Amino acid sequence: MADVSLRKVKKQFGALDVIKGVDLDVQDGEFCVFVGPSGCGKSTLLRMIAGLEEITSGELSIGGRDMTKVGPSERGVAMVFQSYALYPHMTVAENIGFGLKMTGHSKELIAERTARAAKMLQLDALLKRKPGQLSGGQRQRVAIGRAIVRNPEVFLFDEPLSNLDAALRVQMRTELSKLHQDLKATMIYVTHDQVEAMTMADKIVVLSAGRIEQVGSPLELYHRPNNLFVAGFIGSPKMNFLKVTVAAGAGGSLNIALPGAALQLPSHGVSVEGGEMTLGLRPEHIDATGKGDVVIEATVKLAEYLGSETLFFVTLSDGSELAVKADGLAREKPGETIRLGINAKACHLFDANGLAVINGDLTR
Amino acid sequence: MTKAVSSPPGFWTKNQQKLAPWLFLAPGFLMFIIYVLVPIVQSIWISFHDWDGLGEKVWIGLGNYVELLDDDSFYTSLKNNVIWLVLYLLSIPAGLAVALFLNQTVTGIRLYKSLFFFPFVISQVVVGLMFTWFYAPDFGLFSKLIEWLTGEQVAVLADERFVTYGIIAAGLWPQTAYCMILYLTGLNNINPEQVEAARMDGAKGMKLLWFVILPQLAPATFIAMVVTVIGSLRSFDLVSIMTAGGPYGSSQVLSYFMYEQALSEYGFRMGYGAAIAVVLFLIMMVFITLFIVRMLSQERNA
Repeated sequence: MADVSLRKVKKQFGALDVIKGVDLDVQDGEFCVFVGPSGCGKSTLLRMIAGLEEITSGELSIGGRDMTKVGPSERGVAMVFQSYALYPHMTVAENIGFGLKMTGHSKELIAERTARAAKMLQLDALLKRKPGQLSGGQRQRVAIGRAIVRNPEVFLFDEPLSNLDAALRVQMRTELSKLHQDLKATMIYVTHDQVEAMTMADKIVVLSAGRIEQVGSPLELYHRPNNLFVAGFIGSPKMNFLKVTVAAGAGGSLNIALPGAALQLPSHGVSVEGGEMTLGLRPEHIDATGKGDVVIEATVKLAEYLGSETLFFVTLSDGSELAVKADGLAREKPGETIRLGINAKACHLFDANGLAVINGDLTR
Repeated sequence: MTKAVSSPPGFWTKNQQKLAPWLFLAPGFLMFIIYVLVPIVQSIWISFHDWDGLGEKVWIGLGNYVELLDDDSFYTSLKNNVIWLVLYLLSIPAGLAVALFLNQTVTGIRLYKSLFFFPFVISQVVVGLMFTWFYAPDFGLFSKLIEWLTGEQVAVLADERFVTYGIIAAGLWPQTAYCMILYLTGLNNINPEQVEAARMDGAKGMKLLWFVILPQLAPATFIAMVVTVIGSLRSFDLVSIMTAGGPYGSSQVLSYFMYEQALSEYGFRMGYGAAIAVVLFLIMMVFITLFIVRMLSQERNA
């Protein structure tokens, strides 16, 4: 049993607050991804769980035991570094077995566990090589092997795929997911790539400026973002934001003035004061063929024909810009007029503080 | 060069790739031949003669070498050179210790690093003078300290028992600084994530140093070995400044012995001096060959 829980965890470097109070529970066996823009403190938070950074205040417990002040090797965690951090002077086998050697295990046990890890990661043929003679993907596997042999309760990954090329990254992504299913260990994974987060995670933690913005499953974050930051961070291309004026209408609905059209939004029982608000629309939820509750006209400024889909970047009559994801057969060219259908059910509404008032959750 | 240019058109373009490296090497080769190879051969040649540097050379075959084998000064010098060689190597662990100590991010660390490097920058002559004063009876700090501890005065540089060790201590000061710089550069190249990985693997303190840091500093250790061994064998300036080989020749080393025989006021026995030089050269060749063999085998493995 190795659930990880953080209580009011803070980190200060001198006068600088890097982690400003984090409360988080990661269940045993969960694949949890920390995601956020660079400098948001996600790596620092991971390193604090690893024991490489001191925790300024707050508590960390792993498997129910308080680990706040315990040394990194005694926490039952293993870490895979962004640069892999393999020891260049040791062979693959020595690299993998090093942790066991340091903790005083017998040679037979080290050999046995190294062999098992190597088999699992298809490194059998490479055990005698040095890291300098390996490809990026193989080095990555050795780094994972080094973590596996110690039978840790928690695996920590610090942007492990960012040094690989695109094809290899996709392959390693599935391998990591498979590894998680095989080992059933708790894994905490840091990345700035929201695609990695969406594809691998059981639970995503979105961080910004040292704070947790939202915790949830990938689809929860996609459909029900708590605030503008999460709404803009999850999803690609990112959600469109339009400054709109909202007025309460009849029957609990909201009237939203769009350029060239008026949109009626069901309030779902939420009382909304109205006034200046932000409307969020995902590019893939705007219909480029003009079907929807409301239709507005826009001018195509730029079109990217990707085959499977076409991305339009359009301007509305008031000059505001939208991205629209259309079917790959859409043929509108820059300069042409396009009719956009907007589905009221897919609209998100955020108040002046950037908090979500209404989520356009299409799953409900 | 002129040949290449005046040849029929096309010759230069055809052979440029082959000739260019040799042309670039030519000045270096020329210098090496004139200033290194020829003098070595000349020295060996002179060592077979009796010569005062001005008059006729008289061929005496191995006479100088036979005399050398019977010369007590030669054995004193040889013994001192061995002591130098062994004790001078202490500068390598000392330099590593200082480098590890200085390899951290603290405000003003650059200043501390430069201060530690300072003894290497100042001339050996100045180092020698400073240590001479340091050891000087009556007013030297070291003498005062010894007097305070034991109640007796010890004139280090005038005592046959201590004089060589006193000079080596002076030499260790700049040499340690040199090794420190080599190690600091090496430490800079170690990926901090590797140290963190080792910490996660449970390696701490000496284990971390021994299994993770030191193996990666091997190139720095190798260079430190080379410069320290060669530096110890050619020790001359400190001996010359601090004691001039005294008292009674007890602090002599081979290079100073050679200078004394061939070039000082004691006489101009060029042939005998050259013989000493040849012996020193052969001793150095043993080490240099070892270093080169190691270097070549490493290059082949890389």
